[in-house]
Amino acid sequence: MSESDYIVSFKHFAETAQLIADTRSNSEKAEICAYYLKSLPDSANQKLAVRFFGEGAFAAIEKKRLSIGHKTIAEAACAFLELDYDYVFRACKTATGSSSEAIEKLMEAWPIGIQKRSPELHSLSEIAAFFVHLADIKSKEEKLRELHRLWSTLTPVEIKYAIRVMHQYSLRIGFEEKSILRAIASAFSQPLEDIRYAHMLTGSLEKTLERSGKDTLQEVQFSFFKPLAFMLASPLHTVQITDFSGFICEEKFDGMRCQAHIADGKVELFSRDLNPITESFPELQSFFLNRGLDQLILDGEIIVFKDDEILPFQLLQKRMGVKKPTKALLDEFPVAFIAYDILAEGKELLIKKTLSERKLYLETVSVTHKLPISLSYSVQTLDDVKSRFDIAREHGNEGLMLKRTDSSYEFGQRGNQWIKVKEPAGSLDTVLLYAHAGSGKRGGYYSDFTLGIRANHHKKNEEPYFVPIGKAYGGYTDDELRWLNKEIRGIILDRFGPTLGLKPQIVIELEFEEVQLNKRTKAGYTLRLPRFKAIRHDLSIYDVDNLDDVKKLYEAQLHRKRLKNFVEPFLIFPTA
Amino acid sequence: MIQFELEHAHGHGIVLPELKIGLDTRFSQHLIQVISHAHADHVPHKTKRPILASPATIDLMIARGFKGDYEKLDFYTPFETDVARITLFPAGHILGSAQIFIESEKGNLLYTGDFKYPASPVSEGCFFPEKPIDIFIAEATFGLPIYKWKPQEFLDKSIVDFAKKHLNNGYTPIFLAYNLGKGQEVMHALAKAEIPMTIHDAGFELCKVYEQYGFHLGNYKKLGDSSHQGRALIIPSNALDSGSVQKISKQKVAYVSGWAALEARRQQMIIDARIPLSDHIDFYELLRVVEQLKPKKTYITHSPNPDMVCYFLQKNGFDAQPLGEHERGEDS
Ligand SMILES: [Zn+2]
Repeated sequence: MSESDYIVSFKHFAETAQLIADTRSNSEKAEICAYYLKSLPDSANQKLAVRFFGEGAFAAIEKKRLSIGHKTIAEAACAFLELDYDYVFRACKTATGSSSEAIEKLMEAWPIGIQKRSPELHSLSEIAAFFVHLADIKSKEEKLRELHRLWSTLTPVEIKYAIRVMHQYSLRIGFEEKSILRAIASAFSQPLEDIRYAHMLTGSLEKTLERSGKDTLQEVQFSFFKPLAFMLASPLHTVQITDFSGFICEEKFDGMRCQAHIADGKVELFSRDLNPITESFPELQSFFLNRGLDQLILDGEIIVFKDDEILPFQLLQKRMGVKKPTKALLDEFPVAFIAYDILAEGKELLIKKTLSERKLYLETVSVTHKLPISLSYSVQTLDDVKSRFDIAREHGNEGLMLKRTDSSYEFGQRGNQWIKVKEPAGSLDTVLLYAHAGSGKRGGYYSDFTLGIRANHHKKNEEPYFVPIGKAYGGYTDDELRWLNKEIRGIILDRFGPTLGLKPQIVIELEFEEVQLNKRTKAGYTLRLPRFKAIRHDLSIYDVDNLDDVKKLYEAQLHRKRLKNFVEPFLIFPTA
Repeated sequence: MIQFELEHAHGHGIVLPELKIGLDTRFSQHLIQVISHAHADHVPHKTKRPILASPATIDLMIARGFKGDYEKLDFYTPFETDVARITLFPAGHILGSAQIFIESEKGNLLYTGDFKYPASPVSEGCFFPEKPIDIFIAEATFGLPIYKWKPQEFLDKSIVDFAKKHLNNGYTPIFLAYNLGKGQEVMHALAKAEIPMTIHDAGFELCKVYEQYGFHLGNYKKLGDSSHQGRALIIPSNALDSGSVQKISKQKVAYVSGWAALEARRQQMIIDARIPLSDHIDFYELLRVVEQLKPKKTYITHSPNPDMVCYFLQKNGFDAQPLGEHERGEDS
């Protein structure tokens, strides 16, 4: 094989991906990728490489899909290897925790997997063309035949990454979009900020890369109806700030984050994950248009708003995901949009302006067009924050948002410019059911835990049984984590790859933000942001709370008393 | 055939009731207790009678604080009871590790303990009895077809390359390896490349035993003794959080274990390299050993998937079945 054939080959890509996977430091990962991108001879190859790293077999903006499920691929691999799926493959998959990794290892070790393959080099464009070809095939049998044909010419590591690319999800190499952008910035010696900004607007790694290569990043223009990544807040306990004089505070609504684009007589609403949700909230469309708003991008919160009062998030849930809601639903749970930031007005993108400046723009819009906005107050000390927090709680709001007045809108970032202050909704005594080897903790500790709640009543002579209620990965001290890791060794019932099934024995008092209804779980509820409050050495599994207790907490949340907005107002809701 | 049963509830040893012999049993119950090797999960808590084990196993147990009575039994040297003959064969797992071969009027039984074939370079090798085997009880910690170990030379080279690369760049290479067995395998590889080492204090006394038995472990000193500059560090993974290791600012960590074959281990433990060096037999070698020994009956134990090995053995025409609970040793 010639050197240049290898450079543009899928094998080179797969081996680079593996090298990135086997590298711990994020900056080294990005450097490896940048070096690889630079080694490719042209933009066509580079575009395919970033597509495979970050988007899958097809570019994210193409709507093409391969429509081959995980199970189908695994069965195809079993047929190729002449191994039984249920008896052999399933156990291999459980042990590795990854179907594609199990396939890689079997291709490498299992004699038939070795015999049937004689690897040859394929260029990136050949592999891309293969994916197109595969997507066009209708018959499942033929798809499998084609897959077998491809595998018979690949090495195990190529097979693994070809499968991961095909599945249009992360390559599982600890190298997400952020890092790919960092690699592009490094490969083309462009400022990362410019790359991120351009990427947010292009929404395509390939386009971003092409612009970087041609030095035309500045020409990328924003346009309405393409969502911008949201700026996110860090919880107060994760930041070390005592002086709040550079901040303003706003009350944090019990609602749903939303970005509204209004232009040319059209409205589009986007959720936190940048999906359009306009159809679910038709009254907001007419609200914006009726008030004459135009050429705006607003950041704010959707809430259920009835008789001058914000109703709990649980009621908003009845509207979420319901497309084309009925009149009855609209009347029972009417929603409003409260704006707290403005990202664009007219042709101008405002995200580089400071928060104070953006607030001025927003207030002007509010006055002119009677747009509801949240009110902000200045704070200085932690005591100010506390008293504001108490007022917010009396209003029935979740807590506070603290925002630096001199900060720009850092799209897609969770930094210390925005800080959220919330109070735990309650605590429950739960039992440890599973331990998961977590990421981030050192030395092979199990650091994530699934906790269970009792599913039957506390009757005598009845053994308790438990269903999962939440997964917690924090709140314990280092000593407690060490103790837990020692203790769980003696109560292991099962092993599923990185997860241990445990004998119910260790009682944990859990703290959490909120109880949520969740029909897809056995418990019917899940806890939001659960974390350890204490290891209850004093309690046994007979003391663990049961589902009725969870239900009571849920009901209590729902019927919490709320002060109306008139006392110490936290929002302006102008009437038309 | 010799009768045997699992030592339920107490440990995962095996009891031969008629012969009054316990293999890696936790409690003696008036048995002759034979111990395969010095890993903690095979060593008894309490003993009423002297335990029987290879000399190196006894010396390692003493170095780890064992205080009971013992009798040293050399490899290949039969120990006669009134109803049975006990012979130890090297198991290739760690220093002193033995397969236990029992012969009686009712037939024979070979219990592998933890074993590795081809053997670990810092063990006495792995050898099997030449007689036809009636009952073969084998461990299969890595009993899945995804486990196939790379050649020893390749793994030794990975260890040496990792150490050299990071020492050259001014980092301290840290190998996470179990104190007994794996640690010495890493040392053995580094010693050949003349790389100086620092090892965890708990492993130090064990290394002295290895040297007594003629294994060269190179230039090493205890973690407690001052600076690690220019040295490779070998510690068990739970020592990574200790103060003396945490204060090393520039470090690169390699995880050395059969489990390092799995990618998930990277996400679970923050490490810079996975080196899948195991001191257990892999799936394919296990099938080959059974093929070679042709036992009348094979039992698979110490495996998360005992059924799987049996499934393949049965396909190859052997009488095989899983034995007992899915327990796994402290080492790997
Ligand atoms: Zn062992």
